Amino acid sequence: MTISNDKEFKAALTKLDDGERRRVATLLVQQVFDLSGDPRVKGGLELAGRADVGSAELAVAAAGVNTARVESYTQCGRDTDWAAQASHFVARAAQECVRPVVDLAAAWEAAMQARMARMCKTLTAGEGTDNREAEAQYQTLDAFLKAKGSGS
Amino acid sequence: MSASLDKGVRVLKEIIDAPIASYFSSCVHCGLCAEACLFYTETGDPKYTPIHKLEPLRRIYDQEYTLLGRLAKLVGLSKPVTDAELAEWQELVYNSCTLCGRCSVVCPVGNDIAYMVRKIREGMSASGNAPDGLKGAVTRTVNIGSPMGIKLPAVKAQMKHVEADYGIAIPLDQEGAEYLVMLSSMEIINFPEYLGAIAKIMRHAGKTWTLCSEAFEATNAGMQIGNSDLARVIVKRIVDGAEKLKVKTVISPECGHAYTALRWEGANLIGRPFGFKVQHIIEVLEEFRLAGLLKTEGMETDRLTFHDPCQLARRGGVIQPQRNLMAMIAKDFHEMPDAGFMNWCCGGGGGASAIEEGEELRLEAFKKKKSQLDAVKPKRLVTACANCRIVIEEGLEHYQMNVPVVGLTETIAEHLPDSVGNE
Amino acid sequence: MDQLQLLTWARGNGLNLALTIFVLGVIWRLIEIYGLGRKPDLSAPRDVPGASGWHTIFRRSVPPPGMFKTSPVSYLGGYVFHVGLAVVVFLFAPHIELIKNLLGVAWPGLPSQMVDFITVVTMAALVVVLIDRITKPVKRFLSTFGDWFTWALTFLPLLTGWLAVHHLLLPYTLMLALHILSVELLLICLPFTKLFHAFTAFGSRWYNGTVNGHKGVPV
Repeated sequence: MTISNDKEFKAALTKLDDGERRRVATLLVQQVFDLSGDPRVKGGLELAGRADVGSAELAVAAAGVNTARVESYTQCGRDTDWAAQASHFVARAAQECVRPVVDLAAAWEAAMQARMARMCKTLTAGEGTDNREAEAQYQTLDAFLKAKGSGS
Repeated sequence: MSASLDKGVRVLKEIIDAPIASYFSSCVHCGLCAEACLFYTETGDPKYTPIHKLEPLRRIYDQEYTLLGRLAKLVGLSKPVTDAELAEWQELVYNSCTLCGRCSVVCPVGNDIAYMVRKIREGMSASGNAPDGLKGAVTRTVNIGSPMGIKLPAVKAQMKHVEADYGIAIPLDQEGAEYLVMLSSMEIINFPEYLGAIAKIMRHAGKTWTLCSEAFEATNAGMQIGNSDLARVIVKRIVDGAEKLKVKTVISPECGHAYTALRWEGANLIGRPFGFKVQHIIEVLEEFRLAGLLKTEGMETDRLTFHDPCQLARRGGVIQPQRNLMAMIAKDFHEMPDAGFMNWCCGGGGGASAIEEGEELRLEAFKKKKSQLDAVKPKRLVTACANCRIVIEEGLEHYQMNVPVVGLTETIAEHLPDSVGNE
Repeated sequence: MDQLQLLTWARGNGLNLALTIFVLGVIWRLIEIYGLGRKPDLSAPRDVPGASGWHTIFRRSVPPPGMFKTSPVSYLGGYVFHVGLAVVVFLFAPHIELIKNLLGVAWPGLPSQMVDFITVVTMAALVVVLIDRITKPVKRFLSTFGDWFTWALTFLPLLTGWLAVHHLLLPYTLMLALHILSVELLLICLPFTKLFHAFTAFGSRWYNGTVNGHKGVPV
């Protein structure tokens, strides 16, 4: 089955175990990582993408990602730089990937924050609100399920 | 005297009313206002004494409105207010004051010092002595409609994002809706989940609501910089939107100063009472709670505390509702010392967080908030102002404290049925 | 002019002059301040019992939560010398006698030894707050000539009165004359210095309480 809407997307996520959801979430965020470039986020995502990552390592990565997230807020009254704001949402998405447990809510949150990051980019480029990030995410999850199905 | 100093002094003269005259005449230099101000208590620098922030205005009051003062001016014995002095006072009037109002509550002779700072800002901004960061916010408000440069496409982007995330349609320009929901730039940019929470809550409570394409911005840069004309323009836009859509209530978002600007200053800025109610979202949630419309499920089990935004609690009069709402969803709630109407400011309101050169001072002042948190040791902090959230998170980050900060509205929404994960 | 002439002048023309300036000064200043008026508040009020200008007039005499320990000298010293002054001025028999002559009203006074003791305590409190003003950074920073001058204006009547009663330092007639003159100086300066807070503190507290009461916050 190919995923074509959010309902199917969520249903497919539910069927995964926590470790698999962590890896999927990481893939989704890595797809938008070019909108950030922050080394702390990069490090966090690399860790989260490993099958054998330990909780202590995750905690350290989470601290770094959190700092990246807080530093990238746009402060009240300042001019909004949507490109910079995109990196904030990438950090928020990455934060979901380095949680001790990645349940459905966390995986969904990562997906949504990644889409928000993409939306910031399209806003900056003056392309309006349309973007194909949701579809790209469906394809990523599809590919993951296919690889899982054939691999195991 | 330069043209802009002239203008500034003229404005300072105009804003003096009986209360201000009474306040200046009553001050006995006791210094208790300093003990209430976090910018003094955390730095120990007497120049941050609240009443001292008004010194140029006091001299103008003396020289223009008192017999002896006028006589002294006539014979050349008084010290005029200068450009240089106003420039020097910029830091005191803006960087080191968030209009939090603690000073106004402790002054033994009853001076409302925060009110006077709000007023002196009119003269400071008229004479060109407002910080660049705020000037920028004002320019963006005038030219674009939002202090942070948010235009309608950005709002629509948020709406779309939220609709996909929560699966609930966001109404726009719906005439006859009961509630007109205002947003602050901060929520549109940083906290799209606020809009999602609203959508969820309104659906759950069965209430009609709408956004307004011509008036979505609640943040009032005019009020922060001290430009009543601009403050009026922003309020008028909201009033026009509310009247056009014939709503009963306008909801002010999780932003402190937006509430003060609309709820308390709004009618006075446009010169007539409003035909609709203005409520902070927390007040609306409390009303829903009392009417039995919020059927929450489950509780937060970690140790929580609440930070009362100054403009909501002490300066706004909304003190108990947030506690009632916390009681609905928090099993392990603890008040921080001085919680409620004596709460200490986060240090970033009133435009302060837009002032880049004031950041070091803000972080030092944050030690007061840190001391409150060190005393109550929460696992997480809940609050109801987007700016407080970010200012506190930045402060916590600076002092390496691991305390996540969340918004009350979105926390309530999370405990309503139909949240993600319960499907 | 000898001592007796000075005393006679102080009690007679001096007092009339001082009282006239005082009364006219108070009236003038009240008009000067409150005549400026203020704009009405058109925002919808929040009705909360206990939150109003009148409540604040009284409630503001109590330190707000957490404030007493930040500056106990300010509060304690302030209470002691204000109450002490009121007792000495209004509950000392010779003073009540004077008021009876001027206004026709009288009331029982306190035993003079008690007033004597309270006078000493009041002067001590004033000295303590003076030292506080000199040593505390914020108070020192804020203090101007007016603060030192008004301190002296307030202290001198107490000192000269006490010395007169005890027949100390100078001959009684002269000491008494100085005492009355110091009171007259206090009277004529009061409306035009920070001492006018004796009247405007009520107005300020009322405005503050009203504005906050409008929002439903009892302050």
